[in-house]
Amino acid sequence: MKKQLTVQILLVVCLILAISACLACTAPQPATGSAAVPVEEATSAAEEPTAVEEGADDFNAFEAHGRANRRPDITKDNVKIGFIHYSDISDMGFTYSNYQGTLEMMKVLGLREDQVITKFNVPEDSASATTIKELIEEGCDLVFACGSVAFGDNMLECAREYPNIEFYHTTGWLAPIERLPNFHNSFAKAYQARYLAGIAAGLKTKTNKLGYVGAFPYAEVISGFSAFYLGAKSVNPDVTMDVIYTNSWGDAMLEDQAATALIQSGCDVLSQHSSSTAVATAAEKNGVWHIGYNVDLTDVAPNAFLLSACVDWSKDQIHAVSYMIENKDIETDWSGSYMDGACYLTPLNTAVAADGTQEAIDAAVAKLESGWDVFTGPLKDSQGNIIVEDGVTFHEPTSCPTWEHILEGVTVVGE
Amino acid sequence: MTNFVNFLNAIGLAFVPLLLGALGEILTEKSGHLNLGVEGLMYMGGIGSIVAAFYCEQALAGSGIANQPLIIAVCSLLAAMLVGGLGGLIYSVMTVTFHANQNVTGLTLTIFGTGIGNFFGEYVGFLTSGGFLSIGENAKKAFASILPAVSGGETLELHTVGGVFERLFLDYNWMVFFSLILAVVMIWFFNRTFLGLRLKAVGENPAAADAAGINVALYRYLATIIGSGITGIAGMYIVMVNSSGVWSQNCIGGRGWLAIAVVLLSTWSPVRAIWGAMIFGGLSIMRLYYPIQGVPMQIYDLMPYIATIIVLLMTSIRQLKEHMQPKGCGLNYFREDR
Repeated sequence: MKKQLTVQILLVVCLILAISACLACTAPQPATGSAAVPVEEATSAAEEPTAVEEGADDFNAFEAHGRANRRPDITKDNVKIGFIHYSDISDMGFTYSNYQGTLEMMKVLGLREDQVITKFNVPEDSASATTIKELIEEGCDLVFACGSVAFGDNMLECAREYPNIEFYHTTGWLAPIERLPNFHNSFAKAYQARYLAGIAAGLKTKTNKLGYVGAFPYAEVISGFSAFYLGAKSVNPDVTMDVIYTNSWGDAMLEDQAATALIQSGCDVLSQHSSSTAVATAAEKNGVWHIGYNVDLTDVAPNAFLLSACVDWSKDQIHAVSYMIENKDIETDWSGSYMDGACYLTPLNTAVAADGTQEAIDAAVAKLESGWDVFTGPLKDSQGNIIVEDGVTFHEPTSCPTWEHILEGVTVVGE
Repeated sequence: MTNFVNFLNAIGLAFVPLLLGALGEILTEKSGHLNLGVEGLMYMGGIGSIVAAFYCEQALAGSGIANQPLIIAVCSLLAAMLVGGLGGLIYSVMTVTFHANQNVTGLTLTIFGTGIGNFFGEYVGFLTSGGFLSIGENAKKAFASILPAVSGGETLELHTVGGVFERLFLDYNWMVFFSLILAVVMIWFFNRTFLGLRLKAVGENPAAADAAGINVALYRYLATIIGSGITGIAGMYIVMVNSSGVWSQNCIGGRGWLAIAVVLLSTWSPVRAIWGAMIFGGLSIMRLYYPIQGVPMQIYDLMPYIATIIVLLMTSIRQLKEHMQPKGCGLNYFREDR
């Protein structure tokens, strides 16, 4: 009996620990919940106009920083590049499109196959540092880490340890803060493609309600769905949007359930920031429409799929490798726009899309080309506070998105 | 009201893989095998079913044979059981014939099955033009809701009584009914058949069963292989219904472990596994239908495990014999040690 009692007490202690750990985990997340909002809103409302004024010059500030880390010995024929991916190409999403970018980069720059080493399924903990060191020992002069915020910290340590090797983390955010000469970040302005895709959704919806399955309450996701919503709203002022987070980058079953719940609540165009195809197939099953991310889903959901907003990962790789070969300084924080081709749309599925969608998208592209950007005021958040004033444009200060405001008209389920 | 009906309907779709996984594991554990490889077996069943459906559909295309969705469904089901059963065979050979540690073998099977699933998902996918391993229209029909067929194509509005009835009891695919029937059959098997009693004896006390003339190795082999086959069907459900017949990498996503938790929650009874799976399924999707303002979603994701801990606490306090894990579970049987 005594032993049993001990076991029971242990279990209760475990339970308490689990709950407290869980609460601790949620605390540092982006403050979109109710508790932290007043403070955040107050500061951001005061700060953002200055960010808007100075945002465009932030890159110049990095230029001033001494980055003399040139390697004149490196040429096109002897440069060796390593890649680490958290997944492998069978995900048909993020890692697949990154790998396609690598193939494109090799073709454009004329690299041989033995000049590129790719490591898939690298764990997102300190083992990634070990893998990076393996790549360096195999003779890599430039190491890419594709995606996964967790790679950033380990890569940063390696960058400090190996000052002669260049490190490049896509979708990371540490480089503009740390400003090491050999550590770089990049991410395309994916929100521009999301905005354009949103136009197709705004024109297609009959119920004026969009659904969005997001992965985490994380700036990259929030920036993406805010831009998507603004795109829809630009052609359909009455449109609203519901967002459900799955709390996972890829969980087919939960994404299917979340998509079904959104459809049952009246959403008739779905989009997603998650890697499985389940949202598209749920839309197909229920006779509604879908807009994808990073991959063309016409094969999977021919009657539901409109188009996808995609990121062309070859552009930042070409930038980094060509600069290295030409013995120039690689940008600390590089971001390509829709006009650079760093993000793009898949061909519109005209059999499904509403009439005039392509024309509306083309008009918006022309607006982007004229220097206009997505987050242009007046914009209000879901509490009614003005976050970007009329006539002012919010420019992302770094390549990694920082936009964390839930816009008026967007409802995050559960918040 | 509509939201509540939709929520119940969603539970009816969410509990099936957990129930099938739990039923397979209960059958396995009743024979004295603690198989922790449920997650891997689900992957194996899932990939088996989708590859079979994919090639079956291609073979049937243009042949003019009637009832193609039915043939594809049967093919897919058999393949899921076969490949899942193959996983069970590996497990049995390791533990019964070679006396390998059951826990280690089960965990290895998880890693093995996950790898097999993702490898073949990628391999067959890249043989197709679009890069996706995806079934076509005919095969999708096999896993659609049976409601249109039952009601003759007309569905009632949700705000009428008939509409609510249809949505609550009929608007499911055939696998939902299959899993419930299977649970009932298993209760009958354990409590009303000679074979079931013998199997329970093997799981409780293999030495006594052996002395009574029961072939312990044969019972353990068969129960594990059939149990793993049933677990394989759970994977089939996730791939064919939730992912709609498109292979997504890592699609099982930990449901195998949840199914093991359902076994604990159900205290090794198939009928309680139905309720256990429904509670788990309901808790896992509750935040999509009834979100509570300010409660972080991680708390919801934690709920099934809290429920399991509470049930474990209660059963260990009450100490009822019929709610206990089979005594021989997790221990290999050495005849020489008798």
